[in-house]
Amino acid sequence: MTFDEKNKRVYAESVSLIADMGFKDKLSIEEMNFLLNLLDVVIVKKEQPRLIQTLKNWMNTNEGSEIDEIIKATFLAADFNDQESLEQCLQLVTELLESREEQNG
Amino acid sequence: MISELPEEYLFDLESEQRVLSSMLHSEDACIEAYNLLTASDFYSPRNALLFELSCGLFLREVRPTLVEVLKEGHHLGLFTNPRDIEELKYVAEHYIDDENIKYWIGKVKDKSRLRRFVDFLKASYEILMEQQGADVEQILMSAEEKLTNLTALEIDDHVDSPADMANLGYDEVERRFLRYKSINEVNKGLIPLDGLSTGFDNLNHVTLGYKAGDLIILGAQTGHGKTAFALHTAKAIAVDSKKSVLYLNTEMSREQIALRWGSILSAIEHERIRAGSINETELSIILNAYSRLRDSGFYSYPCPNLTPEKTISIARKFKAQKNIELMIIDYIGRMDKFDPRIPEWQMLEQIVKTQKMLAQNLKIAVMCLVQLNADGTMQGARRMKNECDLMLKLTPIPREEFELNEEIKKYLNPNYYLIIEKNRDGRSGVSIPIVFDLQKQTMKDAERISR
Repeated sequence: MTFDEKNKRVYAESVSLIADMGFKDKLSIEEMNFLLNLLDVVIVKKEQPRLIQTLKNWMNTNEGSEIDEIIKATFLAADFNDQESLEQCLQLVTELLESREEQNG
Repeated sequence: MISELPEEYLFDLESEQRVLSSMLHSEDACIEAYNLLTASDFYSPRNALLFELSCGLFLREVRPTLVEVLKEGHHLGLFTNPRDIEELKYVAEHYIDDENIKYWIGKVKDKSRLRRFVDFLKASYEILMEQQGADVEQILMSAEEKLTNLTALEIDDHVDSPADMANLGYDEVERRFLRYKSINEVNKGLIPLDGLSTGFDNLNHVTLGYKAGDLIILGAQTGHGKTAFALHTAKAIAVDSKKSVLYLNTEMSREQIALRWGSILSAIEHERIRAGSINETELSIILNAYSRLRDSGFYSYPCPNLTPEKTISIARKFKAQKNIELMIIDYIGRMDKFDPRIPEWQMLEQIVKTQKMLAQNLKIAVMCLVQLNADGTMQGARRMKNECDLMLKLTPIPREEFELNEEIKKYLNPNYYLIIEKNRDGRSGVSIPIVFDLQKQTMKDAERISR
């Protein structure tokens, strides 16, 4: 199996897994859609490096605090098909991460 | 008996899944399938549904990936349980290489035609059983017509009967008569166009505009306004009339094309814009000019490695998604060859034939720019002339013309001729004097100063 074929198989398996969890109510519809969009961005469209980096920054420091809940809600509300709205979302998350950092000293 | 045919002989689910999977993984495959198949070509209703979902997304300019199709189906309430996901995943795993898509589409199409043939046999058998006293000649004629439709003709093809042709002809004449009459009354004699404006009143008058299905060839020597002519045409159609135009450029970058627009729309010298040597008032004029471009129907596709096959695929995509009415190829001499061994003239002939077919199939006008030799001749000119509907040449007016030709003296500052070498629908051999401002990259009809 070539690398490309492996990629396609991993992609299809991941889509299936995420959608299955969504259909079985283990993920909310918003969570399911966000993860599916993210998968498309990473594997198929290979774009939005800033989104990936911001997401990584948040994942590395996520403490489950109130601010983290706000950040999660901000990510889930992002419209992946509207670049302007996505940029606004990333700006907001970046500011929230900075303010949390300042609070933690 | 027909009913004894093994059922699996009439469908090929693997081919259907390979086509659908390919559409989920590749935009090129999507364009091919969208143009060559319909939902009714799929045997499985589930596959037909996936095809329709994918085409729906494609038309909305959303790439129909597995994720997008799943989301769309879920949103429409079509995919609601884990079994649906498994089926979709199973289809997605039948991926193939892009170059094989036509083979699999052909297989789906063949089975579809076979099913239509079986339907024809069943219907004919029923007619035989039910109408045993009917006129044999009539039964056979009717069967022959249906069978011909299955074998010789594609779905979109249509044979006009004498009555069809007569009705069509009369309707066309009546439509033109009424339009001419009404415009004559309203606009006091201004001749209505049949197609898209050419951007020159005199050329509009002779050609009645660029019509759907037309292949237009414009020849000019290097540095004598090929791109300026193309963008002047695009301005008339996409900016002034707000219709969609696709512009394929084989040698200029995105930035170069964008800068040319600044000059064309603001009438400020191109060199100064390029150098940034403008004042603040001019900057503001240019900003306003670009806002006209923003609201226009101009789609640019810089493509240094353009091939005839690629033009077909791009044109189909933009016809489906943007409803383009004109495609401009600037210029065909720089297109990659089908086969490197064939001579230049043969390659140009093949490209021009492909573009004529494309114009007719998509019902758009296609304009090809070609380079003239130093002596003003065109390579493969006779063959190109045979294929095209309108052949134009853009050439500087020779100095001696200004002294010897009384007619040219009746125009204000003309410097170029737009020569109509061939015009399928009207007069040819006409030379239209125009003013080409090389600095501002603008063109216009030369004004008549006396009659």
